[in-house]
Amino acid sequence: AGVLAAHKITASSPDTDLPTVSGLRKMGVNFTVSNKDTVKSSDVLFLAVKPPIIPFILEEVGPDIEARHIVVSCAAGVTISSIEKKLSTFCPTPKVIRCMTNTPVIVREGATVYATGTHADVEDGKLLEQLMASVGFCTEVEEDLIDAVTGLSGSGPAYAFTALDALADGGVKMGLPRRLAVRLGAQALLGAAKMLLESEQHPGQLKDNVCSPGGATIHALHFLESGGFRSLLINAVEASCIRTRELQHLADQEKISPAAIKKTLLDKVKLESPSLSVASASKVSLFTHKSKKN
Amino acid sequence: ARGAWPRVAMEASELWVGFVGAGRMAGGLVRGLLQAGKVPASNILASAPSDKNLDAWQKLGCRTTHCNLEVVHRSTLVFLATKPHILPGVLEEIRPAVGSHHIVVSLVAGVTIQTLQRLLPPWTKVLRIMPNLPCVVQAGAMVFSRGSNAGDEEAALLKSLLSSCGLCEEVPESYIDIHTGLSGSGVAYVYLFAEALAEGAVKMGMPGALASRIAAQTLLGAAKMLLETGEHPAKLRGDVCTPGGTTIYALHQLEKGALRATVMDAVEAATNRACDMAKD
Repeated sequence: AGVLAAHKITASSPDTDLPTVSGLRKMGVNFTVSNKDTVKSSDVLFLAVKPPIIPFILEEVGPDIEARHIVVSCAAGVTISSIEKKLSTFCPTPKVIRCMTNTPVIVREGATVYATGTHADVEDGKLLEQLMASVGFCTEVEEDLIDAVTGLSGSGPAYAFTALDALADGGVKMGLPRRLAVRLGAQALLGAAKMLLESEQHPGQLKDNVCSPGGATIHALHFLESGGFRSLLINAVEASCIRTRELQHLADQEKISPAAIKKTLLDKVKLESPSLSVASASKVSLFTHKSKKN
Repeated sequence: ARGAWPRVAMEASELWVGFVGAGRMAGGLVRGLLQAGKVPASNILASAPSDKNLDAWQKLGCRTTHCNLEVVHRSTLVFLATKPHILPGVLEEIRPAVGSHHIVVSLVAGVTIQTLQRLLPPWTKVLRIMPNLPCVVQAGAMVFSRGSNAGDEEAALLKSLLSSCGLCEEVPESYIDIHTGLSGSGVAYVYLFAEALAEGAVKMGMPGALASRIAAQTLLGAAKMLLETGEHPAKLRGDVCTPGGTTIYALHQLEKGALRATVMDAVEAATNRACDMAKD
């Protein structure tokens, strides 16, 4: 999106053989296996590790966090207060922002929401918004809505992929070659989404506009209704949201001790990358981020 | 003589209106006409085989008879409101008396314009109308179609007379069966829904009579908002749904039960049945 120069971005990861690593390198991103270096050379820290790893990461980088740092967590179900609590042992007023994004940021059509923590200023939020708006839609929300956002747009692309797969099957059943069916199905959803975003009209009205009396579309829609299509989608969003809350609840109770995570991760890394020395394995963390130097 | 009415005498107050058959649907229409003050009761004549239905008409101030021919002789606008299986016999009976000045409007379910025109003299101005029950309270929904000899004047007259009973629109004849499925029978779907709403409330502890009245008022209010705002129902639905609130929880239940599809099925079934019956 041209918002940030690649050389201003540093990413770290223990495993240098990951395809994402070489991809980042090709783009000109600075790469390191040292999380400390990453923290020291950045102002905005994206924590892009899996949720159970977060507490572990925070303990590792906590000492290097300074007042200037904006810590942005994208981890599902991890609350601002849990991050602030962990960091407060190292830094009195940590700036924390929690965000929930989704995979289409890759094609700059992401859906991102963020909630600012106790010590994050308005400008900090706006900075993040500026960054994330370059890769799609971004808006601020109250933290208690983030689980719902996870259920809707976080998981949403998966619902869409499933729908597209099935639509393509329908096309194939009726005689279309697979590639064409996939292409047309994706374009249909893309076009519909674009129409909706650019229109003042309610999706129900847009649907009506496609349904000529007694025509093909209304016959098809009847099938969707008979199958409870709408309720399935509502169920899906609900299930994803509830599960996110469950995971958050588990994390809050700290059922998984950081030491246990460290050990299992260490074991896994040893298995996958026998060339890694034990010394560097102690810095094990899948910690990648973008940073901006002033 | 009555047969010499000039064609231009279309003023409703000068119109002589007849009903062959005086059942519930005819009764609904006549009440609407009278309520709107379009036609004086003394200008209305209804025929029926027995006195059972005619008592009510007399109470309204209408004239009554047991003779169908008399209705045709003394009226310009003749409504046919018999049961479907009786109609062919009635048409044969009145055929000799039907003239080019008559406007014949059939309320009879399932009898097509083609059939009507076949059983009546070739010059007859025929229209076919499908009302629904709430015409009785002037909140009906009616659609009508015109036969080969019925022109704009006749259509305009019918529309202006019956708008007093509710919504009245001209449509192609092919829509009439659909109207049956949507609105003719549709009224029953609403009664069913109202009953279910009330039962839900009773289950939750509200007395039945109160629940029923509130259910009815809810439907009335919602329908009124739909008609008056002209907004898409999906938008109005969204307006009621506060995030995480009671309504969206309830709607989820309705969607789980595939209510939409079931309603579509109902309209389809009634429409198809109307088509089938018309073929008999």
